[in-house]
Amino acid sequence: MTATTMTSGPKKQHLTRSLAFVALPLVILIWALTDLSLGRTLVEWIPYLASGFMMNILISLLAMTFGTVIGAIFGILELAPYRLVRYPVVAYVQIFRNAPHLVLIFATTYIFPFEIVIAGNYLPFPDWVKAVIGLAIPASAYVAEITRGAIQSIPTTQWEAAQGLGFSRWQALRYIILPQCVRRSLPPWMNLFSSITMATALASLVGVHELLHAATDASTAVRRIDFTIIAYIVVMAAFFALCYPISRLTRRLERRFNAA
Amino acid sequence: MTVSPDNAMTTTDGKAQDHIVKLEDIHLSFGQTQVLKGVNLTVNKGDAVSIIGPSGSGKSTLLRCINALAMPQRGRITVNGTRVDQLTKESERIELRKRVGIVFQQYNLFPHLTVLDNIVLPPTKILGVNRAAAEKLARELLDKVRLSDKANSYPGQLSGGQQQRVAIARALAMKPELVLFDEVTSALDPETVGEVLQVIRDLVRDGMTSILVTHEMRFAEEISDTVVFTENGLIVDHGSPEQIFHTSTNPRIRQFVGGLGARGTVRDGEGI
Amino acid sequence: MQDSSILNTFIAMMDRIGLNYEFLATGYEATIWRDGFITTLYLIALLIPVSLVAGLVFAACLTSGRPFLSAPVRGFVEITRNTPTLVQLMFSFLVLNTFVSNLVGGAQNNPLTPFFWVVAVVGLHIAALHAEAMRAGIEAVPSSMVEAARGMGFSQWQILRHVELPLAFRASLPAIVNNLINLVKLTTVGNAIAVSEITYASIMVWTQRDNVVSLMIVILVFFSAINIVVARLGIWVERKLAVPGYGL
Repeated sequence: MTATTMTSGPKKQHLTRSLAFVALPLVILIWALTDLSLGRTLVEWIPYLASGFMMNILISLLAMTFGTVIGAIFGILELAPYRLVRYPVVAYVQIFRNAPHLVLIFATTYIFPFEIVIAGNYLPFPDWVKAVIGLAIPASAYVAEITRGAIQSIPTTQWEAAQGLGFSRWQALRYIILPQCVRRSLPPWMNLFSSITMATALASLVGVHELLHAATDASTAVRRIDFTIIAYIVVMAAFFALCYPISRLTRRLERRFNAA
Repeated sequence: MTVSPDNAMTTTDGKAQDHIVKLEDIHLSFGQTQVLKGVNLTVNKGDAVSIIGPSGSGKSTLLRCINALAMPQRGRITVNGTRVDQLTKESERIELRKRVGIVFQQYNLFPHLTVLDNIVLPPTKILGVNRAAAEKLARELLDKVRLSDKANSYPGQLSGGQQQRVAIARALAMKPELVLFDEVTSALDPETVGEVLQVIRDLVRDGMTSILVTHEMRFAEEISDTVVFTENGLIVDHGSPEQIFHTSTNPRIRQFVGGLGARGTVRDGEGI
Repeated sequence: MQDSSILNTFIAMMDRIGLNYEFLATGYEATIWRDGFITTLYLIALLIPVSLVAGLVFAACLTSGRPFLSAPVRGFVEITRNTPTLVQLMFSFLVLNTFVSNLVGGAQNNPLTPFFWVVAVVGLHIAALHAEAMRAGIEAVPSSMVEAARGMGFSQWQILRHVELPLAFRASLPAIVNNLINLVKLTTVGNAIAVSEITYASIMVWTQRDNVVSLMIVILVFFSAINIVVARLGIWVERKLAVPGYGL
């Protein structure tokens, strides 16, 4: 009897997982087809919503890129042997890891000017760029912690073993230590990616034209309760379609790394 | 004590009323794998029966059937008048398990409870015994397994042998009618095997009905009233320790006993 | 007055280093801001038990082995984990709340406030994360341990209560504390539906005073302090529950 439950378990889980992928789009599709006037309105607004979603993806990718580069450097600096270096970095990480994303988006939006002067030229400083910075800050704080944790988790014997084999310090870092760090930090980094992607919706609160903002615009323009509902379901489906595969992949990687 | 290979059910000593466990034609398979292919076994009250045989011969599954942790697809299991194979409700199985103690290879003590609480929890929660009485019994049992000084330790602080002795005390705290031992020394360091065997030896001498699945051949020979040899889901032979270990003509048994005999002697000899 | 003179000295000192806290001396804005802090703290104090209890219920459903309980919860967990909480909140407030209003005959009869929706949405979102952590903890309990308990005669419920939950809670505690830190941060989404928590109150102040940096510093310190307290409490509970010789 144990054997039967064990074989049917994963299969069933697999089914619910595949179902999760298509459930929201299916709801949208069936509803749009059963009420064709709603369906037509939705199709009209899809390009507008899509342009909003592009903004989410753009903000997310840029914030993660900056956050990863700065965070990786800060993570190494957190382990620096000099207090003068270490303390400010640790303080930065502590404060911005504990800060709500929304607060940081407000901070960058309201503190930075709407344009900057570089060599006498006035350059616009749009809100979406401020949102990128607002999200890159917490991302960098998280990446710093991930990096620090990954480096510390590599046992010193690995360094010794590498050097014992005749690797130089740089070679040991490049070929032995870093690959292990990347392996260990990949799952939490992907979790962060998914979390930052979802946080891009907060930019709507400072007026950035992203998906949630677009959906609100659209529902105000159309003024139909059923359209409002389906528009928000579309928003959820879009984020879900992006984040769910990431979280599935993360869990798979975690399992594989734990097993190894 | 009577053990009947395959389908020949016989009671040679005629003391049928003393049967505490009776298995008749037990068949059990997990999916495609046939684990038990028609096992017959009778155990008398107060006896110690050792089940020996190669790995994968269905020994542990056999024990689990007696405790209703595994349900056979075919056959009758009677434990002191209860038809175990007919227990369909979990509540009925729980009633049976209260009467049949089982000790596992991986002691499975509850790591978040002290040794004392490990022994007190089952009688208080399952039998509804009051805490004071359960604690008194627990201390007596700890004394019996020679671990009185460890009452307030946590399982993680004990050696494997000590944990296994606590697990035996925990099973006894339910005042079972019989105790099943499933390879209880297989996971232990050689130096702690002896102390666990000593506890079982005392128990058997006190007349507790015991069924043991074991690889300790010397021990099985010493304490058992009957030894059962299983292979491929069948009972190949049974008899007194003398018959199985020394005078058996079955080549498989001779090979198995011969192969393990040396190891058994060595392990037992230094442990006690 | 002793009080106001300390306040005035503080404002003057801060002014010298370029920070503007003049509004603290005015009754109205200072009250709004103070109430913002109180609302945020109240939200946190309410959400922590709500999320834990709901998380326990979700975890029980997920591990029940009964599809009619586990499937809807699993679906909810996946959706809430993989969509922005802000979108969930907007959806709940604009759609579900409208339904409730229609049901009771008009918004004036609707007892559900924006505050309620923040507690419901954030509470259930964090509960889903708790449930995942607890489920992993329950599944990490060795099956042989569960079998041993069953072999002794424990019922399914007793096994959950006396064996699986105590072990699972210890194993999932770090993840739960992490979720609680997220919970503290998530209270700010209330801003979107005009719950006057600290960010909402701050906007009211800085649109008048143009002192974003000054307020931001206090807000960041405030959230850092709360989260340090939450993390410390977590460590304290962890130590309290630690079992000697058991590396969980």
